[in-house]
Amino acid sequence: MEETRIGLYVCWCGTNIAKMVDVENVAKEMESMPNVVVSKDYKYMCSDPGQDLIIKDIKEHNLNRVVVSACSPRIHELTFRKALENAGLNPYMFEMANIREHDSWVHTDREEATRKAKTLIAGALNRVRWHESLEKRTVDMNPATLIIGGGIAGISAALEIADSGKKVYLIEKSDKLGGHLLNVDLTYPYMYSAQEMIKPKIDRIENNPDIDIFLNTQIEDLTGYVGNFQTKISQDGAEKELKFGSIIVATGLRAFNPDSIKDYDYANFPNVITSVEFEAMLKSGKILTKEGKEPKNISIIHCVGSRNHDYHEYCSRTCCMTALKYSNQIRSALPDSHIYHAYADMRAFGKGCEELYTKTSGKDVIFLMYDQKNDLPKIKKASVKDKCEMLIELNEKLSGESVEVAADMVILMVAMESNDNAKTLGQTVGVSLCGNEFYIEKHPKLDPVATTTDGVYVVGSCQSPKDIPDSVSQARAAAARILAKINYGTVEVEVTTAVVNEELCCGCQTCVCVCPYTAISYDEEKNVSVVNEVLCKGCGTCGSACPTGAIKCRHYTDQQILSQIEGLLSKSLELQEV
Amino acid sequence: MIQRVNPDLKKYLVKYGVQDWNECFHCGNCTAICPLTDQGFLFPRKAIRQVQMGLKTSLASNFDPWLCYYCGECSETCPRDANPGELMMSLRRYLTSVYDWTGFSKLFYTKKIWEFLTIIILFILVIASFVVWFPKEQIANFTTYIGDHSFLKVIEAGDLIMAAVVAFVLISNIFRMWYLTILKPKYKVPFIEYFRGIYVLPGVFASQISFRKCDTDGRLYWVNHLLLMTGYTLMFILVVVFLPKFQVSEVYNWYHWQRLLGYYATFGLLFGLSAMFIGRWRKKSEKFKFSHLSDWLFIIMLFLTTLTGILVHIFRLADMPYATYYLYIIHLAVLVPMICVEVPFSKWSHLAYRPFSIYFYYLKKAALSKQHKSKLAAAA
Repeated sequence: MEETRIGLYVCWCGTNIAKMVDVENVAKEMESMPNVVVSKDYKYMCSDPGQDLIIKDIKEHNLNRVVVSACSPRIHELTFRKALENAGLNPYMFEMANIREHDSWVHTDREEATRKAKTLIAGALNRVRWHESLEKRTVDMNPATLIIGGGIAGISAALEIADSGKKVYLIEKSDKLGGHLLNVDLTYPYMYSAQEMIKPKIDRIENNPDIDIFLNTQIEDLTGYVGNFQTKISQDGAEKELKFGSIIVATGLRAFNPDSIKDYDYANFPNVITSVEFEAMLKSGKILTKEGKEPKNISIIHCVGSRNHDYHEYCSRTCCMTALKYSNQIRSALPDSHIYHAYADMRAFGKGCEELYTKTSGKDVIFLMYDQKNDLPKIKKASVKDKCEMLIELNEKLSGESVEVAADMVILMVAMESNDNAKTLGQTVGVSLCGNEFYIEKHPKLDPVATTTDGVYVVGSCQSPKDIPDSVSQARAAAARILAKINYGTVEVEVTTAVVNEELCCGCQTCVCVCPYTAISYDEEKNVSVVNEVLCKGCGTCGSACPTGAIKCRHYTDQQILSQIEGLLSKSLELQEV
Repeated sequence: MIQRVNPDLKKYLVKYGVQDWNECFHCGNCTAICPLTDQGFLFPRKAIRQVQMGLKTSLASNFDPWLCYYCGECSETCPRDANPGELMMSLRRYLTSVYDWTGFSKLFYTKKIWEFLTIIILFILVIASFVVWFPKEQIANFTTYIGDHSFLKVIEAGDLIMAAVVAFVLISNIFRMWYLTILKPKYKVPFIEYFRGIYVLPGVFASQISFRKCDTDGRLYWVNHLLLMTGYTLMFILVVVFLPKFQVSEVYNWYHWQRLLGYYATFGLLFGLSAMFIGRWRKKSEKFKFSHLSDWLFIIMLFLTTLTGILVHIFRLADMPYATYYLYIIHLAVLVPMICVEVPFSKWSHLAYRPFSIYFYYLKKAALSKQHKSKLAAAA
């Protein structure tokens, strides 16, 4: 076996590390550790000159292992692996010691922090000795895409992908495409007709030979991995199998049922209606009470089921602007009516939305602010002398006065919530739910349409309440990601996976039960477990559960972990004695 | 008490000059910048909200607009150009009509033709009564001396009756103001405070001292206002209450106290009026950007009264009986409608409501502090 030659690099991270850790002292002292050939400190190891330093040393000193003690590996492990690769070394011959998040940022005693840095580095040095070369692997990419949900998000993604000549399977659980937009009249803030926007898109989808539409269809199960998925679908009872490389989940949302809010008594007042019902009224062209009369006083109550700890904590994002849109439409249809908004905050953040708010407030619309957390408005039956059907009582926050509002029609701006089958579908396609039961994305800021399962993307309101432009942007972003992968032709898969030593495996199948990615199957013939290395994420659960030690996790072998612990402990003891 | 939100009140308030109420989104900058804002008296934002929601009862019980002297800081600071200062001005007009039980104020503010008609009718009546009843042969030695002519005796009597009626209307309206702002909202004012508070009134009326707080940035509104107000009040007392002493037969020396007071009053009126006129004409400062018809009428009629009064004085000193006679008729023909229309029912009524609002402000604060103390005691 060749001699182990380690290069150690201690990063200052400007003053982030250097102000709490004596980096020069650390680099100097750790030089005497076994197998360390060079030990250096530098202002910013991640900078180009910092990386060049490593590359130069590897070539000059013939290094075969590198340890960088700097920030979290989440931030720069890939950067340094790349540097090793550029110098001709296998990128896995590298280890990082985190002396920033785990040390300088969280301690206040410079001496102690310096000692801890040395301990952490000793662990890394001990570990890197046992690192092995690992080779990257790739699989072919199936260029077809499965899109679940035929609303505006699913439709936009389907067209984007099919327009570049790639196959799309579009699955819709109802009997027509279009989703919620089919029930919308005009859209805020520019008052475009929803039907004029969606109808041509549906026509294009129906006439595109690259898109296969499956209506009244459910997904039964899903197997495979990025680039090579397959699913069973059932359409009107008939089962079918599809194969594809990527999945877009665009299952949308449903409206909140306001029955549970006692103060509004939605079930008993015929003229207390939800925004969904009012939208249908607008689409039919007539605003009428249940008695068939034109309402004189129309009240709109905001945040019904949103932003309240009893219902949903989150903001449904579109209701404020929809309510303003209603005001404009009511004002045009019934110029003499009184329009009241009982609102908690007016949220007009999108493009053109603040302008819509300003424009609407000039149309003699009264905004009354109520306490959304503790003091909801109450709808009551009015008496004959009130000359209206209902009265809404509320404590108005901006004036501090208790007021009542006459109402012949009350519109409840109901919240958006996730579909009732979101959890089951999520489990099928391997996407988890966030606290609000919406699908969770890979990273809320830097990777908003991907999920933790490679090849599965979430777009539109199934990820969180969204308006049309946001849903369309997400859909097209996901389409672009998929097209890029299809264009590349192959996908890289994880190499730090588990491997089964068939001689040690007793076929107990403990690993099969614990694997969270269903990556392990059981080979009955050989009576051993088999790891599907494309599905395996290298989480290590099987390795720690295996009773015979037959499963080895690449890059996280027992030997690597134990020697890291040994390094940590021996250095720690040594420093304590001094 | 629960009040009904009334979307139509704003449309009615437009006639009093209320505008731009929509723009306000209640950031509270106006309240923060106002030099007169006090704990519990957070104007002008609160009043804007009452207008937006159409809370009639709350507006009627709100005397904050009278505490405001319109320095214009709020309108300058307003990020939405909602002109809160002008809203307070408009509300003073509205409140004048709310306090007035006779209904004339409402009529004059909302239907301008009636204000013009009343002024013109009174104008003609005064001139006609001279034409009909004043003996023509006595014009040749007319000196304005009350004792000279039996007709001028009638004028003196009429003057006192006018003063009594105007005083009655104003005083009864002040009682209504007290009812609407203190009694009806059920502020429990300790009885002794009514007497303790009385010392506030004369000093405040004479000096309008809190107005000085508004004179930041080198503004001189308080000085202008003081000259105009003291000049007007002095002249008002001299001609309405002491008419027989004022229009006497002999011509006093120029340094006689009565002439000196008269000259001071004239100077004060002319100076204050010119400043207001120029301000409203140039529209540079916030205070004078918007002029309601009642603002212009107020300036024009007072200016005409002052001018004709000066001319009467000059012609009389120059011993020109004809000129004195005709100018005197015009002087009275402008003065009478000004006092009958403007003092009890329009802009001039602020000379009563403003000092009394400060009195009620004192009473309300006393009531609130007592309420607060008893709450604290109950909590302990």
